[in-house]
Amino acid sequence: MSTAERSDAADRARRLQRVAELLAEAVTPQEVLDAILNEGVRAAEARAGAIGVLSEDEQSIEILAQQGYDPSVMSGWESFPVAAPTPMSQVVRTGEPLFISNLADRNELFPSMADEGQDGHALVIVPLAVEGRAFGAMSLSFDQDIDFGLERREMKLTLARQAAQALARSRLYATEQALRERMTFIAEASEVLASSLDYNNTLRRVAQLAVPRLADWCAIDMVGPDGEIERLAVAHQDPEKVRWAYELQERYPPEPDAPTGVPHVLRSGEPEFFPEIPQELLDQSIGDDEELRRIVDELGIKSAITVPLIARNRTLGAFTLIAAETHPPYTQADFELSLELARRAAVAVDNARLFREAERGANAAQALAYVADGVVLLDGEGSVRHWNPAAAAITGVSEQEALGRPASDVVEAWDALTAHVPLVAPGGAARPVTVPIVFDGRERWVAVSGVDFGQGRVYALQDVTEEHALEKTRSDFVATASHELRTPLAAVYGAVRTLRREDVELSDEDQAQFLEMIESEATRLARIVDQILLAGQLDADAVELDVTDCDPAEIAARVVDSASLHLPHDIRLSVDADGATTIACDENKLRQVLVNLVDNAVKYSPGGGHVEIRLRGGDRRCLIQVADEGLGIPFEERERVFEKFYRLDPQQTQGVGGSGLGLYICRELVERMNGRLSVESEVGKGSRFTVDLPVRR
Amino acid sequence: MLVVDDERSIRLLCRVNLTASGIEVLEARDGREALEVVRESRPDLVLLDVMMPEVDGWTVARELARDERTRDIPIIFLTARADPADRRRGQQLGGVGYLTKPFDPVAIGEYVEDTLQRLEKGEREQLSREISSERER
Repeated sequence: MSTAERSDAADRARRLQRVAELLAEAVTPQEVLDAILNEGVRAAEARAGAIGVLSEDEQSIEILAQQGYDPSVMSGWESFPVAAPTPMSQVVRTGEPLFISNLADRNELFPSMADEGQDGHALVIVPLAVEGRAFGAMSLSFDQDIDFGLERREMKLTLARQAAQALARSRLYATEQALRERMTFIAEASEVLASSLDYNNTLRRVAQLAVPRLADWCAIDMVGPDGEIERLAVAHQDPEKVRWAYELQERYPPEPDAPTGVPHVLRSGEPEFFPEIPQELLDQSIGDDEELRRIVDELGIKSAITVPLIARNRTLGAFTLIAAETHPPYTQADFELSLELARRAAVAVDNARLFREAERGANAAQALAYVADGVVLLDGEGSVRHWNPAAAAITGVSEQEALGRPASDVVEAWDALTAHVPLVAPGGAARPVTVPIVFDGRERWVAVSGVDFGQGRVYALQDVTEEHALEKTRSDFVATASHELRTPLAAVYGAVRTLRREDVELSDEDQAQFLEMIESEATRLARIVDQILLAGQLDADAVELDVTDCDPAEIAARVVDSASLHLPHDIRLSVDADGATTIACDENKLRQVLVNLVDNAVKYSPGGGHVEIRLRGGDRRCLIQVADEGLGIPFEERERVFEKFYRLDPQQTQGVGGSGLGLYICRELVERMNGRLSVESEVGKGSRFTVDLPVRR
Repeated sequence: MLVVDDERSIRLLCRVNLTASGIEVLEARDGREALEVVRESRPDLVLLDVMMPEVDGWTVARELARDERTRDIPIIFLTARADPADRRRGQQLGGVGYLTKPFDPVAIGEYVEDTLQRLEKGEREQLSREISSERER
């Protein structure tokens, strides 16, 4: 070996050493490729180099990177079959290196390549192999013809071994990295999905998460309540593009019958995976729309995955991942990752929906437990499925007793209750029908309405017994008030008609009686009308009081005087004014109260007796009592007599008329004068009403 | 005939006007008194108020219908109760007339005479039916 040769050898060894160092430092496949093609090609004293590896399906060789070749020469050679009659294919097939000294040799060995690279010289193709298996090859082209000696051959093979190991290691690393990224992505997506029951929101976040790691575009479409396709989310790194995508969706809404894409996936429940989008497919979906063609070209879709979200055999929606401007075309691993993601998302959506339904159900049950109206749900067979506490209260039948049994067995009056209730369809205006029903021995008025929803019926029961009673007292009041008006009216009218009768000669006594009758009955009419008006004013709180110092004895005396004028012969009326003190009150209102109480005392003493006004004064209060020996008031009615419209004996079988307002007005007036009105009574012995007023300050 | 009313003024009106029509009038102040007078005097007709103390007009009518001796004595109700339900009740209790207050006392003599004439012609049931036909004769 000459000095020059030794120096060359040492130089090559140094360069190999440098390559080895660089390769050891390189981590990613790209770094490895850079190291081989920059330093390795230089170390091999080659003009250019390229690295090709077997495709995933091992049917073709893909050029991963090259250095020094004119791009025009390489064009068309990005990928070629392993079976092709080319030097690199042969090396990968055989695992044996090729050392070709010149163009003539190459053309002789590979006649089909005679037209390629006519300015070529020496060419070396070395296999990239690990564990004896070639997974690719490295080509080195030289700018002169070379007869490769043993040492030079060995150097190239060493370079190839180093490159192969580094490349294999980096690819393994990349695969692991990708796997780890996928696992991380799935973990993060799962975490997001589990973070909230608002699945619309969580799905949107998952879409954001997928970009750009998993896709350039990620879209999520859901099946709406009526089967329509609802776009839930579109994610892209550029918000401007997201807006554009939504516009696009509006301009080109999905065709429900489209043979591919989201509609097809939602229809069939089958995923779609296009590692490469076939041009025919694009053409087919674009049609003649030039605008759409421009848009699709702009999108630059390389590869697409659409996976359905399926839970419990129902397709809830679809995930679409698109690789366009940055993301490499999708691989089987990406597709599997998408399926896994879709599976998890579907479960999350399903869970959220189930939870909401359960929650809604629970909320509804809770609401029904508190609502005042009885709610009864019957199934198609007429059996009770729901019976809320209000229904139990109205009917007197507990939920436990009612559930699962036919309603007509549960409540005897059920058929009577619902017979005249018009059933409306859901959403229709249910018209309640008010029915009197005896439940559990009590008469109740129940307003019933019903809805027929196909699989059963819902009845709403409202206990309107009190309202009905109130309504009845009101109509009773109108009836009694009109009766009360009719009698004096009959007397006045009759007296006038009789007085004007020309065919009859009335005695002086009769004439005087008729005139007196007109006067007293007209006064009675005026009083009834006044009472009605006063009750209205009390309701409106529009009664004005003129409180002054009054002598109750004087007021009582005047009341007794005027009452004595038309007293039944069997009633004795007197005042016991011992111990009267000056009180603070409205004199007119107090007189009104006493007139009323005395009037009542007389009216409710049909068998006659003694009616007395007693005055009892103290330091702070003065009591004015009106006592009679009449019918008395049953114990249970003692407070009710003060209610408006309430009448003792409303049927008036006892014949005692009245507006039902007198005692109501009395109590209201007394209370407005800071006093109290109460009653003590014994049936058959009489009553004693007590007005308790403050004395003068 | 007998006039039953707890209101003195109504009794007075009826007495003066019926007497003017040549009808002999008895009076009762309440239901109890009415039953006594009817049993004692057997009037040809009873003009009966409904709302009276203790024993009301409905009760009087029922009592009279229960007693064979008084069953056939015709009753004209004279009342402030003008509801159709009350009219039906008056019909059910066998009334032959129904007058609501206020009424024209000048025409009452004619009304009573007309009723008595139709009763003589055997139109009792028809008179009773007319009660609930709301239209006053």
